[in-house]
Amino acid sequence: MAESYAIEMRGITKRFGSIVANNNVNLNVKPGEILALLGENGSGKTTLMNMLSGIYKPDDGEIFVNGQPVSIDSPEDAKRLGIGMVHQHFKLVDVFSAADNIWMGKEKAGFVLRKNRYDDIEQIANQFGFELDPKKKVYNMAVSEKQTLEIVKVLYYGAKILILDEPTAVLTAQEIRKLFDVLRTMKEAGHAIIIITHKLNEVLEISDRVAILRKGEYITTVDTASTNEQALTEWMVGRKVDLNIDRPQVETTRPLLEVRDLTIENDEGAVAIDNVNFYIRGGEILGVAGIAGCGQKELCEAIAGLRPIKSGQMIHKGDNIVGLTPKAILEKGISMSFIPEDRLGMGLAPSMSITENMLLKNYREVKGPFVDRKSGRAAAEQVIKDLEVVTPSTETPVRRLSGGNVQKVLLGREIKAGPNVIITAYPVRGLDINSSYMIYNILNTQKKNGVGVLFVGEDLDVMLSLCDKILVLCHGKLMGVVHAHKTTKEELGLMMTGALDLSEKYENKPAGVAKDTLFTDAKGGETDGTSDHEA
Amino acid sequence: MGLRITKRNHCPLWQKIVFYAAAIVIALLIGAVILISIGVNPLDYYYQMFTMGTVGNRIGYKTFMNYLNDFVPLALTAVALSLAFKMKFWNIGGEGQFIMGAIGAATVAFQVGPYTPMWITLILMCLAAMLLAGLYGLLAAWLKVKFNTNETLMTLMLNYVALYILTFIADTKADWNFFLQEQSTRPVFKDFSEFAAFPAIPTGGKFELNICVILTLIIGALVYIYLKYTKHGYEIGVIGDSANTARYAGMKVNRIVLRTVFFSAALIGLAAAFKVGTTGVLSTTITNDVGWTGIIVAWLAQLSTPIIFVASALISILGCGCTEANASFGQVSADFADILQGAILFLVLVADFFTRFAITRTKKGGKVNG
Repeated sequence: MAESYAIEMRGITKRFGSIVANNNVNLNVKPGEILALLGENGSGKTTLMNMLSGIYKPDDGEIFVNGQPVSIDSPEDAKRLGIGMVHQHFKLVDVFSAADNIWMGKEKAGFVLRKNRYDDIEQIANQFGFELDPKKKVYNMAVSEKQTLEIVKVLYYGAKILILDEPTAVLTAQEIRKLFDVLRTMKEAGHAIIIITHKLNEVLEISDRVAILRKGEYITTVDTASTNEQALTEWMVGRKVDLNIDRPQVETTRPLLEVRDLTIENDEGAVAIDNVNFYIRGGEILGVAGIAGCGQKELCEAIAGLRPIKSGQMIHKGDNIVGLTPKAILEKGISMSFIPEDRLGMGLAPSMSITENMLLKNYREVKGPFVDRKSGRAAAEQVIKDLEVVTPSTETPVRRLSGGNVQKVLLGREIKAGPNVIITAYPVRGLDINSSYMIYNILNTQKKNGVGVLFVGEDLDVMLSLCDKILVLCHGKLMGVVHAHKTTKEELGLMMTGALDLSEKYENKPAGVAKDTLFTDAKGGETDGTSDHEA
Repeated sequence: MGLRITKRNHCPLWQKIVFYAAAIVIALLIGAVILISIGVNPLDYYYQMFTMGTVGNRIGYKTFMNYLNDFVPLALTAVALSLAFKMKFWNIGGEGQFIMGAIGAATVAFQVGPYTPMWITLILMCLAAMLLAGLYGLLAAWLKVKFNTNETLMTLMLNYVALYILTFIADTKADWNFFLQEQSTRPVFKDFSEFAAFPAIPTGGKFELNICVILTLIIGALVYIYLKYTKHGYEIGVIGDSANTARYAGMKVNRIVLRTVFFSAALIGLAAAFKVGTTGVLSTTITNDVGWTGIIVAWLAQLSTPIIFVASALISILGCGCTEANASFGQVSADFADILQGAILFLVLVADFFTRFAITRTKKGGKVNG
């Protein structure tokens, strides 16, 4: 092997207490090559990359950069060695402009903010074909712009080795294509790129080689050209996995939840959901597609009664739920689970045990002043068993579980309560293949039981095969509701960016309004349901 | 070739005890160095301090009774504060709430005491103190809930408001001021022990156990059960962990915050009632700093109710023991107790760090950057 590697890691071991995050891992990347790093949640991908970027130090093993043994003690060292990492959670200062975010970390930047910093940074961006306004403040940026900025930042610092941790998780199909074009340009310019992703189709599309980790162990590295999704999954999971998502056909009921002309404001008082109509029947999964942050969160919160609405109506089985308390909405059988970026923000009390989290929504049901922990423990044991939650005990604080297990606990509790409408946002966010499929199965089972599911998702491929219908939002506006088996990823992408509006496709029937609506009166009055009503 | 901090997965109980014991021993050693430097034999001093001068003393039982009278308000205040702290409501207004409770209790003693049997007076004193202190705490909680003010600042400032109200009462000679002695020309607080003094349980000997000690232990047990097993306690835990989750679960977060802060402050008021019902007189130093020390005790005990009692007992020994020991060792300043308390607190925090992290030697590394 006379070839010189941009980066070579040999026999890397990293322990956290008694947990081995990486055990004897070998990895190498050549200049002008894209290496995909693949593995399930908790397989140690991010830990391994953090050792390259100087956040952790390996307990054992050696790292070579361009054939030289190095010791990377800090992010500064990594920067000096030309290693740049774009983290999953962006590390940017919101109130600074793009250029200032970059300038801030520059060595020998001097004491004075110079005007020419804008030109410098624009030049770097143009060189690789990025679109970036150096004067734009970060808080005004869309997610994809922030990511672009992160990449430009590491390039500006002279990185020849670029590490991207799940860069596509927050992007639309079009944005992903743009990102991949940029990565190819960088590859041609001789950069070595390591990309972490869960999406196998992306791995096959962009990478030259694939390195696979499983439970901290290094499994193998293969040439992308000589492999396929099935083989990669088996290496990753360690056994055969069926990659098809079922979409069982279930008889649907009359609408369970109907939303009419709903307008909601976000925390800043801007319109987050703009005059949206939709309905969910029992026995169907309605997907909600949209670029991150275009009203999904506000919509979920409004339905759960956590956010006041500006105008519009929401009815559940014909009963108005606008203005009800979260408790009253829960009692109607509407369950909402929202997995935020940090995965713990809403729905779980992180320092409390699984048992205590099981009790969160039903602790009031027992008579008397005391909490019935016994039933909570039984519920916890049930969920752990049914959903294969990996945990030392029912009394382990939820915060100590890995991401996938946290999500299983949350969803498990919601389903145990026996809801008739499930609102779930990003239930597979950051989950590996195995856990994701388990969640899809759970949702399908609920669907078969006649539950109406609202699935707010990110991965269009998944939504196309799991959902019955997909509702597309763009900046809070309804772009249309399409049948999943009749649409394409491209069509959805166009709708998400606002280029295609199908909300007026059928003149006689506006999108999102059910023919057999349970609304007794379009104005929400109390007319008799059986009377003929002409609007 | 270097040292690194790594997280411990599990620290066995004996190891924890060793760490905390080591912390206290090291703190005492630091104190010993100070004592030696001013020419006092530390062994003699510590002996006097830990026995609080009770051994071989004809009136040793009296010292012990004094000690318990110090312990009761401190333990009860710390327990009360832990209620609010569990909810991440930073009530540092213990001093002010205690003073308000004391004023409430004394008012009842003066106004009602002469006309009713003592036991009724005592119960009314407790209720008045709890109500007044509770409302005083509620003020800060209401401002937080309504206007999202910072409760740390509010409770802190209300401490001084309460203190100056008490000082005003103490300094103002006027016809309306029933708190002061009428005969004296200078403003002096009047004694009300003839109308209101908590009964003591005779134990056969000269030592008498103040009923407040028993009541405090009972209240401690009740708070423990309240926090650990009741729905209210569960709600407090969830709000402390994540207020958003609590709202999501349908809890009325604002109402729970108001309720819990009222409880917390009311219990501090009760501690004040116990105090004035035992001393029988107000003073501008009535709090004995329990509002501050109580915060330290609650955190030393990591908000665990049983450990709060242990920590209060130890901290009270420091205070009382130093006073006693200083009687024999004139050259030691009364502030020595504070020095010792500070050293112990600091070192216990260090011990706490070592129960969660270990320092390990790195096996390999140290190559020059390329």
